[in-house]
Amino acid sequence: MPFIKEIEKYKSLSIVGLEKNTGKTECLNYVLSRLSDSTKQIALTSIGVDGENTDVVTQTHKPEIEVYEGMIFVTSELHYQKKQLVAEVLDVSTQSTSLGRLVTAKAKSSDKVMISGPASNVAIKDLISQMRNFNVDITLVDGALSRKSLGSPAVTDAMILATGAALSANIPQLVYKTNYTYDLISLKAVDDESKERLLPIQKGIWAINDEGNLIDLEIESVLLIEKAKDRLFKQGNRIFVNGAITDKFLNFLRVQKHIKEIEIIVRDFTRIFASPETYYAFIKRGGSIKVLQKTKLIAVCINPVSPDGYCLNSDELKQAMEDKLKLPVYDVRKLAN
Amino acid sequence: MQLQSGLGKRYLLDMPMMYQACEVKNELDKVNRIYSILGGKKAGLITKIQTKLMQVRDIKGSIKNLKANMVLDDIELFEIKSFALVSYEILQLQAEFETTLIEIPDLNSVISILDPENNKIPSFYIYDAYSRELARVRKEIKELKAAIKANPEKHTDQNLEALQSHSEEVEAEVRAEICEKLYPYASELENALNQVAHLDVITAKAILAESMAFTRAQISESGTEYKAMFHPQIRETLALSKRNFQPINIRLNHSVCFITGANMAGKTVILKTLALCQYLLQFGFFVPAQSAQIALVDRILVSVGDDQSEQNGLSSFASEMVKINEMVEASIQKEIVLVLVDELARTTNPTEGRAIVNAVAEIFNENQTLSVITTHYSGLDSRCRKLRVKGLDKEFKPGEINKNNINDYMDYSLIEDDATKVPHEALRIAGILGINHQIIEKANKNLLKPEGFEIKEEETKSYI
Repeated sequence: MPFIKEIEKYKSLSIVGLEKNTGKTECLNYVLSRLSDSTKQIALTSIGVDGENTDVVTQTHKPEIEVYEGMIFVTSELHYQKKQLVAEVLDVSTQSTSLGRLVTAKAKSSDKVMISGPASNVAIKDLISQMRNFNVDITLVDGALSRKSLGSPAVTDAMILATGAALSANIPQLVYKTNYTYDLISLKAVDDESKERLLPIQKGIWAINDEGNLIDLEIESVLLIEKAKDRLFKQGNRIFVNGAITDKFLNFLRVQKHIKEIEIIVRDFTRIFASPETYYAFIKRGGSIKVLQKTKLIAVCINPVSPDGYCLNSDELKQAMEDKLKLPVYDVRKLAN
Repeated sequence: MQLQSGLGKRYLLDMPMMYQACEVKNELDKVNRIYSILGGKKAGLITKIQTKLMQVRDIKGSIKNLKANMVLDDIELFEIKSFALVSYEILQLQAEFETTLIEIPDLNSVISILDPENNKIPSFYIYDAYSRELARVRKEIKELKAAIKANPEKHTDQNLEALQSHSEEVEAEVRAEICEKLYPYASELENALNQVAHLDVITAKAILAESMAFTRAQISESGTEYKAMFHPQIRETLALSKRNFQPINIRLNHSVCFITGANMAGKTVILKTLALCQYLLQFGFFVPAQSAQIALVDRILVSVGDDQSEQNGLSSFASEMVKINEMVEASIQKEIVLVLVDELARTTNPTEGRAIVNAVAEIFNENQTLSVITTHYSGLDSRCRKLRVKGLDKEFKPGEINKNNINDYMDYSLIEDDATKVPHEALRIAGILGINHQIIEKANKNLLKPEGFEIKEEETKSYI
């Protein structure tokens, strides 16, 4: 499959599911099996916990991730103890996660493992750069778009999206929703200079005025915007928001007179929690959103089977998706062969 | 302090205060070894050792498990191997010095138990090399898996499961064997861990001494003497505004030493520095002075500042008396203590206050207690040694000094003083500090009033 060649260009890649049961793990397993043949050193981890045997919520069988001999993987102490494969311990982290310290190990045989990696952005970034010490060429991150996760898959250079019937049992809807995420992922990044200055800011809402100075608006989050509405644009129309962007916020912005000059900057696309309708309405009115961290979407995997057992027409779905996104789309079940 | 490992930090915090001269000397000898190297050509090696110390892991838990004859898991074995390797590397770096910095046991045997393939890299798993049976089973599993992949219908999973569980059994046996082989080395590992932590601490102490200009104190049998003693923290703060700290000389015998002097002349700082130096010495550090001969004590008793507390139901006077009581009892019991009191009995009326000061001083003298008492009271027991801070010794033009530069005009050195009366500088200092001049004027008038005269007469009468 051609997209493997594409993957090898990047130093880090995350595989992200838009919804549970969209075939993310199958997709990851496929990528791993194809990469196992290459001469590159692969490292694997995940954001937060993953690899439960059965999905607790929907009771569908969730296969664990298959790690190949020679691959380096990073998982929590707890899951490392439970592994069946033979692996060589390369390092143990000094910091702890809720499941114990993180173990970096090299697989000496091939088998399935539960992967539970670091849970925060900073920790994942650190991990990816630490992998250089082990001569890793590419780090794969099993990602999650859930709100509970502090880590965003946008810290990796590239991304593969997994979508499917679990998101919607209706093809046009499914395409529409997937396309929305695609549009978010495609949001432009700010210039490098602004990025450097905004990255370290961990909280609040800030304005960038005409001279390029950063001013703390002292508004903690968009959820508290009610009381601070008048303060928001006092210092300029470029606003950096650290936390989430909500429907309410976008709707508020949409009705401003100077909407065309408003530019909202967010850390990455995962911070936008608005519905597609609200988002598109905001954009249509002339508003713009930019991101600090941009990741490149290189492929989309689809799982036409929903947890309810409903099965969409794979070819139809694939075609509709490809037409809309203009990206290669793969059916995970067909990939396995 | 630049400690490189969490292990070192814990070692430092757990260190007890030392009371025996030989203990202190031992520790200082070790610190000195590194201190002398820091000044020389091989100083770079110390930095290398520090880098290694950063990689040291705290394996106390794993060693405990090993001692209890438990089977360790791969992660614990990895950590032990990693520690043994780092320890070995530190040992090798040490070998480049003429003298051994600190004795570290050779853990080569531990390394070879955990490194059957002789890779000398800090990674670990139950290697094939441990057991032919294990190697065989693993190979079989691999072949079977490949065969299953090629021909999924032909083979069943049952064979694979059986093989895998056999492999786990063999692995467990090997693991148990490894732990048994390591068991005899458990105390050596513990010792090495301790020594490495100690090395971290003494290296940090030596570097601290070098950067802050501390010196090694001599342990004295009779009294304590400092030349050019300074308070490191205050000196650093002053240096920030480009000022100097005036170091002072002071000699203490096993008796009372009064220190008098104008306000703001640094008396309290002297007491705090004395306490600091004593603690530093007895925890095995070098001290902030150009040279020092210090007598060791069992306890340091300090009364500086106000412990007044409505919560405890104590007034300033009461809380001070409680502290003084402890000191007096210790003195009477002939305990070996260092007593430091700031402005003894200032919390009550001057007549009784002075009486208390003299009484306490008498007791300390009788029992030959090393003690320093600062006071403003005149008419002190003439048998006691008195030191005076020079203070604002010269004449100044009015307005030349103010509260911002008063410290620059102070002479903080101590001189032996025989006069029965203490310097009366309070109003002068208050004036310089910019206190409302009405207070100064009225106070000055009061000093000349008839009642003032009477008190003075009484003073001179009772203390001849």
